[in-house]
Amino acid sequence: MAVDKKFIGKKYGPLTYEVGKEKIKEYANAIKNPDPHYIDDDFAKNTKYGGIIAPPTFAVVFAGMLADPFFKDPELNLNYAMLVHGEQEFEFFEVVRPGDVITSSGKILNIEDKEKLDIVTLEGISKNQEGTDVCRATFTFVIRK
Amino acid sequence: MPVKDINIGDTFDAVEEVDKYRTIYYAGASGDFNPIHIDPGFGEMVGLGGVILHGLCTLAFAAKTVTDWSGDPGALKRLKCRFAMPVHLGDSITTQAKIVGIEENRAKIELSVTNQDGAEVLTITSAEIEL
Repeated sequence: MAVDKKFIGKKYGPLTYEVGKEKIKEYANAIKNPDPHYIDDDFAKNTKYGGIIAPPTFAVVFAGMLADPFFKDPELNLNYAMLVHGEQEFEFFEVVRPGDVITSSGKILNIEDKEKLDIVTLEGISKNQEGTDVCRATFTFVIRK
Repeated sequence: MPVKDINIGDTFDAVEEVDKYRTIYYAGASGDFNPIHIDPGFGEMVGLGGVILHGLCTLAFAAKTVTDWSGDPGALKRLKCRFAMPVHLGDSITTQAKIVGIEENRAKIELSVTNQDGAEVLTITSAEIEL
């Protein structure tokens, strides 16, 4: 069953995530990336950032929270068993630091109804506690019919 | 910045091994506990031949290739890919990068991300860094 195009523009969130230093380190360890910018306080305090920053792709942790209400949206009624993550794009505007409070707002950017599959694109804009955009994440999901 | 002299045509690469516990670490750190990533029985049942690595972890390996080379993770401004093929535990992922354009204060980078058989696991993969 095709996903109805009337849901283009539907919004999710905003959802808030407080960034913890140890969560950054955990994430860096999980992606096998021991860059001292992420894990070494002494190194990081002497960089231009003046302290630890998160790996850019840590954005999936806060922006990815938007996928939960989107997947479970009863109105949209996605066939989760047939869904795969097709494409991903990130634009990074500002580094993310421990203590940042990130607010992410999601929106369905597009729904394409193809012969054998639907393509649904979800955009998440994440801002920090100062209202500065930190990331635009675009998730493209493919749902086989 | 710039951290180094960058020219169109420059190339660099890196290899990551997908060890047998990688999806467990990634699930815990990312919060993505989809059973296709952590439950070998489920992965077999749905025809994936066991668990598969989170696509975003593969993309993080590609991003690391770029940020290790540039020396400044905060300079990564754009990152994009299509998830083309599953990555399995024990796979070896090679990212090959090439500077394809330099405009104003941005360098555009094309990335080829392949497994040990030379198959592209990510396609249309690209990144941009601020110079």
